[in-house]
Amino acid sequence: MNIYGMGVLFNRGRGIASYEAALRQGWQKPSEVEAPYGPGGTYPVYQVDLEQIPDRTILKKMRRSDKLSKMAVLAAHDAVDDCGIPDIRQKNVGIIVATGHGAHPTTFEFLDGILDFGEAAASPTVFSNSVHNAAASYIASVLDIHGPTLTVTQFLFSFQAALQLAKVWLEEERCDYVLVGSADLYGEVMGYIGNSMLTTADDGKIRPFHFKPSSHVPGEGSVFFLAGNGPSQSVYCSVADVSVGGDQGDGAPADLIILDADGMLPDETAYLASVSGDIPAASYTPLFGSMMTGSAFTCAAGALMLKNQVLYPNPVVDNPHDVRLLKEKTDAPARAIHCIRYNAHAERAVINLRGAP
Amino acid sequence: MKGERVLITGCGAVSAAGMNRSETLDVFARGQRNAGPVTLFETALPYPVFEVREIPRAFFLEGQRTLSLALIAADEALGEARLSKDLSSYRVGVCMGTTVASQLNDIEFYRSYRTHGSAPMTAAHRYVNGNIAEHLARAVKARGPSLTVVNACSSGTDAIGVALSWLRSGLCDIALAGGADEMNRIPLCGFGSLGIVNEGLCAPFDRDRQGLNLGEGAGVLVLETAASARRRGNAADLYLAGYGSESDAYHLTAPHPEGVGLRASINRALAESGIAPQDVSFVNAHGTGTIDNDVVEGKVLRDLFGADVTMLSTKGFTGHTLGAAGGLEAVFTAAGLQEGWIPASIGFSTLDEDIGLAPARKKTTITGRYALSTSLAFGGNNAALVVGRDGKA
Repeated sequence: MNIYGMGVLFNRGRGIASYEAALRQGWQKPSEVEAPYGPGGTYPVYQVDLEQIPDRTILKKMRRSDKLSKMAVLAAHDAVDDCGIPDIRQKNVGIIVATGHGAHPTTFEFLDGILDFGEAAASPTVFSNSVHNAAASYIASVLDIHGPTLTVTQFLFSFQAALQLAKVWLEEERCDYVLVGSADLYGEVMGYIGNSMLTTADDGKIRPFHFKPSSHVPGEGSVFFLAGNGPSQSVYCSVADVSVGGDQGDGAPADLIILDADGMLPDETAYLASVSGDIPAASYTPLFGSMMTGSAFTCAAGALMLKNQVLYPNPVVDNPHDVRLLKEKTDAPARAIHCIRYNAHAERAVINLRGAP
Repeated sequence: MKGERVLITGCGAVSAAGMNRSETLDVFARGQRNAGPVTLFETALPYPVFEVREIPRAFFLEGQRTLSLALIAADEALGEARLSKDLSSYRVGVCMGTTVASQLNDIEFYRSYRTHGSAPMTAAHRYVNGNIAEHLARAVKARGPSLTVVNACSSGTDAIGVALSWLRSGLCDIALAGGADEMNRIPLCGFGSLGIVNEGLCAPFDRDRQGLNLGEGAGVLVLETAASARRRGNAADLYLAGYGSESDAYHLTAPHPEGVGLRASINRALAESGIAPQDVSFVNAHGTGTIDNDVVEGKVLRDLFGADVTMLSTKGFTGHTLGAAGGLEAVFTAAGLQEGWIPASIGFSTLDEDIGLAPARKKTTITGRYALSTSLAFGGNNAALVVGRDGKA
């Protein structure tokens, strides 16, 4: 499966150029949000500011939608635009949206309506937008895509499962192309839960190689990939294999291992089993924050590096376990990158990316 | 094994119509409607609902009713497939559809948070441990792919379609697939706010239909490659012949007036099955009893299959079970082919001239080899499954 186009929306902007710039420039302190309850103060969040999006064309088409849908449509639109495939919208394009938590702030807004105005007076518009597949629906209608449209959730493995299914759909020719990606967002209540269940890095810096104790900084954003099985010219990379859980993929050697360690697990020492002295490791989670579907950002970083033949250094290099880290920008040819995520049961998911032939 | 037939070796169903498939078929035959007021939570809303009678102790999980329902249906399906609850020696995938179990919509948790700025984490822990596919996979020690589909009302059908793709691609040899959803206050308020819930009992495709009733339940299929079934010495005459899914790309809540996505989904499912519309012996329609759904779906079915098509909606027996609907209706579709009859489309009495299609008015004999089940969903998702029966087993 080849990746022909990508769209990225995160706290540092919209588009591939913004993401490449972040990979080059390294870590920046995230914004702070005020804690709405409790002892007060602020805490760090990698938030997307849609008001800063200069091109309002897409957003004008979805005034009644919520932030999750807007982020997803922007990223999906950019992936389609980026692919450079003529008449792509006339092809049979499938859509798979992976989300960890869906539009939870919209769900809580609907609950506000019930609590404030009664069961019979809650807003139908808010209810409609709170449904998990609203974002996928907006992608289909705004981009005029009519293929199979699916929204899936598997918490930390949501994106890997979506990518695996995209590969299957293409192999069985259910679609000509698949627009597969992720969308997750920050919300006050989920922030409260995250603070209660996990450790927040007060200085806003995720330290991916600390492993235990881990610390998280909530992030939000959306990444989409336009994937297909056609010619391999003008592609970012190919997805050679996606393995989730038991099946551990093709075992091909890699030039770089990217870990999704982001503090979403209190104990991330399982990642130590996936690093070695032979292959440098990196983690770019400090650039976009902690989220269930952060693996899509990691995959985008891998795809960019394989296309550009540049390996970007770790944005945060605190390294108490003496892992072999990629510390300098490297221009040596890169042929394969493994993107690795663990879940709470110490099960591993691996996305094997290969450079275009 | 790639390209091989995918058999249905087990089915399980739990809904207001019955705690298992056998009970359900009895209720179908009697034309009994087990609806009543909401008992599972306090509500001032006047809508009748279809609740499951009682969760057996062996399947009860505190605060995780959707998972309990899924386990009941899976247990029945595994039993019929002659599989134990420890599937660790097989390559098994689990794909389940849901709506309620995917959201943290615990109103007491949220009320506490709003009022006090804090809330017990019990609800949050249930939520993060409540992914339905993962839970079911761990319960049966499945080692293959695991995925929860959250495609609103087509979730169950799409989950079965995903499992079909997995099996055909060789990702697993056996899959548990279907959907589950519990009766919950949030969707009741939500559908109520949309003005599409009936204060009486639903009447799918009827001229005087007044909207849907909500229900709860779970429907699970054991799908299996023919090679796997052979290895286990299992025989099955039912199989999943095809799946189609297409988007309307039209509106968040309303179906496309011409049913473009539904039409394309059905055509795709028929093409995948290698059959023509006239090969379909009956259609188990989505048929919610809302004005919009039934007129669009009815027109599409009439166009594709003719005004004399044998069809029904089983939602008059179960209510609209949301993410479970596709799973339950796949089980009912398979049962119709296997048993050789379908029940009356309960609730229907008067033909709607705008639809021009009458569902089954009485228990109807089925003799064909193929049947279709359709689902339409919020967001313009449409999905269709073709179930086949070869009659050799």
